[in-house]
Amino acid sequence: MTEFLQATVYGLLQGGLLALVAVGFSLVWGVMNVVNLAHGTFVVLGSYVAWQLNKSAGVDPFLGMFAAAACLFVAGYAVHMLLINQVIKAPIWMTLLLTFGLELVLINAMVLLFSGDFRSIETGWAGDAIALGDVRIPYGRLAGFLVAVGLTLALVAFMSRTRLGLAIKATGMDRDAARLMGIRARRVYAITFAIAAAMAGAAGAIVGTVGTFSPASAPAFTLQSFVIAVLGGLGNMWGALAGGLVLGLVQSWGGQYLSGTLVTAIAFGVLVAVLIVRPAGLLGKPYYEARVET
Amino acid sequence: MATDTQAEKPASAEGPGGARRLGFLSGRAGWAAAAVALLVFIALPTQLYGSQQRTLAAAFMFVALAQGWNLIGGFAGYPSFGNVVFFGLGGYTTAILMAKAGASFYVALPAAALVGLGFAALMGVPVLRLRGHYFAIATLGVAEGMREVVLNLDGLTGGGSGLTVPAVGIEATTSYPGNAGFYYMFLALAVLATAVVLWVSRSRFGYGLRAINQDEDAAAAMGIDTTRAKIGAFALAGVITSLAGAMYAFQQVSIYPARLFDVQFTLLMVVMAVIGGSGTVVGPVLGALGLTFLSEYLRDNLTDYHTLVFGVIIVAAVILLPQGLVRFVQEGWRTRRFSLLDNVRAYRL
Amino acid sequence: MSAPALETRGLSRRFGGLEALSDVSLSVEPGTVLGIIGPNGAGKSTLINLVTGHLKPSSGSVCVDGREVTGQRPWVIARAGVARTFQIVKPFRELTVRDNVAIGAMFGPDGAGSVKDAQRRADEVLERVGLAGRGEVPPGELDVADARRLELAKALALGPRLLLLDEVMAGLRGSEIEPALELIRSLRDEGMTIVAVEHIVKVILSVSDEVLVLHEGRELTRGKPAEVVKDERVIEAYLGQRYAKRMAGGNGDA
Repeated sequence: MTEFLQATVYGLLQGGLLALVAVGFSLVWGVMNVVNLAHGTFVVLGSYVAWQLNKSAGVDPFLGMFAAAACLFVAGYAVHMLLINQVIKAPIWMTLLLTFGLELVLINAMVLLFSGDFRSIETGWAGDAIALGDVRIPYGRLAGFLVAVGLTLALVAFMSRTRLGLAIKATGMDRDAARLMGIRARRVYAITFAIAAAMAGAAGAIVGTVGTFSPASAPAFTLQSFVIAVLGGLGNMWGALAGGLVLGLVQSWGGQYLSGTLVTAIAFGVLVAVLIVRPAGLLGKPYYEARVET
Repeated sequence: MATDTQAEKPASAEGPGGARRLGFLSGRAGWAAAAVALLVFIALPTQLYGSQQRTLAAAFMFVALAQGWNLIGGFAGYPSFGNVVFFGLGGYTTAILMAKAGASFYVALPAAALVGLGFAALMGVPVLRLRGHYFAIATLGVAEGMREVVLNLDGLTGGGSGLTVPAVGIEATTSYPGNAGFYYMFLALAVLATAVVLWVSRSRFGYGLRAINQDEDAAAAMGIDTTRAKIGAFALAGVITSLAGAMYAFQQVSIYPARLFDVQFTLLMVVMAVIGGSGTVVGPVLGALGLTFLSEYLRDNLTDYHTLVFGVIIVAAVILLPQGLVRFVQEGWRTRRFSLLDNVRAYRL
Repeated sequence: MSAPALETRGLSRRFGGLEALSDVSLSVEPGTVLGIIGPNGAGKSTLINLVTGHLKPSSGSVCVDGREVTGQRPWVIARAGVARTFQIVKPFRELTVRDNVAIGAMFGPDGAGSVKDAQRRADEVLERVGLAGRGEVPPGELDVADARRLELAKALALGPRLLLLDEVMAGLRGSEIEPALELIRSLRDEGMTIVAVEHIVKVILSVSDEVLVLHEGRELTRGKPAEVVKDERVIEAYLGQRYAKRMAGGNGDA
């Protein structure tokens, strides 16, 4: 029973973090119809930024997280303006190919700069834990969970309460109509992409604290973001939260009771089944119906 | 007025097109060029080292893979990111039949084709109801999932350690073709795949696929059974891809799931088809040959950076040549204006 | 006593909480023209989509030539002799005008054997609608009137017995409307049954044998054109008092 509770707790804690990893990916897909295959590399880049700050200046990763977010915001903005924007009106698999190429470049650049070794960010306190009965809750994971959920909720608030957030939503629903109303779609897209990258970077800093990372971890993050985005509905922030928790639990329970590789197969099975039965995901609107586009 | 078919080509190979057949090489000059190229390829192996023969064999394999993708992704407009599932299934069918049932390769080959056909039809029914990104991800999910399944069916597939195809000694059921043999095998497959695409491009079936690609609702309203057409295209792709997988398994002798279901195959075949020109007949050929040679060249000369540079080239090609090389040349020829900048302006905001 | 070309019974379609179409029963005699009018959102396009199979009914049935086709896929219904135009034209943008029409000739009930045959038939249809000689043009280069002709040509290429027109006159100038009306009349005279959704009342009056008025998803009234436009409920819901006064003042003028 303890094992089950422990797995459940871990699953939820990890799930909250996964939600932060995925929320930007879902946002970009929902608003811009861009599936960013390089999303996972943004997460890992965030990890490296936090790791470097920690190594050179002893900065705690939960502070380094802000630096990671800032760096990735700038990088994301640049990537959109210089690359993604060039093919934004092309058939969808153009952006898929573009981001695939970008992923190749970024992963290999990281390997060349940092080597392929697995790393993690050392802190004095993250390994300690509080105990609820027999269940162990590491501080690092708990803090990570709280920050991740907090940031996701902050994003939700941003999207519904600020002018920029509304502009993003409007552009996501009908780009041409938004432009006719004076919204500069290209800039809105760039900011959306930048926000997504920043969220991923912040998540990366946390990931680096609670576990290990290397350039090779990037594709797994992208894949998990896929699953979460589909489960939760594209562009749906609450959905990303729900999807993240679901995936975190499924992976944690699965890892407890099934062989490691079968868990992934099950995750894929669930993904495909959801796509076929309810493409809108658990919470979302059917994507192609929700859009007004020719 | 220029002579015979050369002048006819720009007019008949014009913009929108049912007339877009052999890219801009329609007419007699195009066939002549293709025949010459084929003869060259047939005569070439005697002049090449073993490693060069292997490189060309790989290039031909990718021609087949790219053409397979071209049918479902280029003509029908359903970008499959999971065609490698057929590759892996074809390869494993072959390996299992040869290693465990002592079958000859030439018996395993049609079996692999049937498996590809069957699985494509089976998978196509639910998955082809999805569109766009959803379809792409569902196919990706199926491919990745199948890899895991194969990995877990230890008894049949040898699990993570994989299988070894009996290729030498008394156990060998079929004599191993060697570098030159595989060169010709893959060349034949590439020619077959291209011939299939050529036939499709000129047939009613191909028009139906293009209609589905350009407006599926209108296509359905005009009497096209979209379900059957899509499954048909997917099944053709499945057969071609699984044949390639079967040959690959025999060639590599030792296979395992991570290799035979490697998502890199999927990404490469898509890149090659799209950069060459998806929806055209010649595009995937050029894309596959060009990118294979490029990849080899980079690997030999820039060992540390080759993947990085390859990635940069993909990014550049997608931005500068979004419609692929063949259409770029066609349009340029027709308007007498070759401008990469125009390309960029067309798709940006 | 032949079966009606089109018959619906209790046809309804719900989207979530919205009843787009409610319990519509109609029947159209072969070789006649039924005009359908009504305010936006009345369910006109929904009705067409239900008949052609692009939407599945929530309840009710559709029969074409006495054959039940409820809930069949669009291509089955197309092959049963039903063709339609779309309100927002849907050409195949990367095919030539001729190939656009040839698709219909290839896949319709009378499907041509070869691409060349289909293209030849396409040329005949293009001639009929007034697009002769524009076969090689890409659809993107057509103006509004020609784009609508193409849309009609695509439908005619199927050789249908029942033709559903969804606001096919929208956006046409006065001088372009009369030739279009001529075409519709000549099609009807050849035995085709036509159901035309329209907003331009003059068109409906001049070409319909009967008019059906839809309002909020239900049938408001049905009858001869001249009677329907004088019906108080129709004036209230759709035509407006000013129009009624103009009609009363200058007989048949619109």
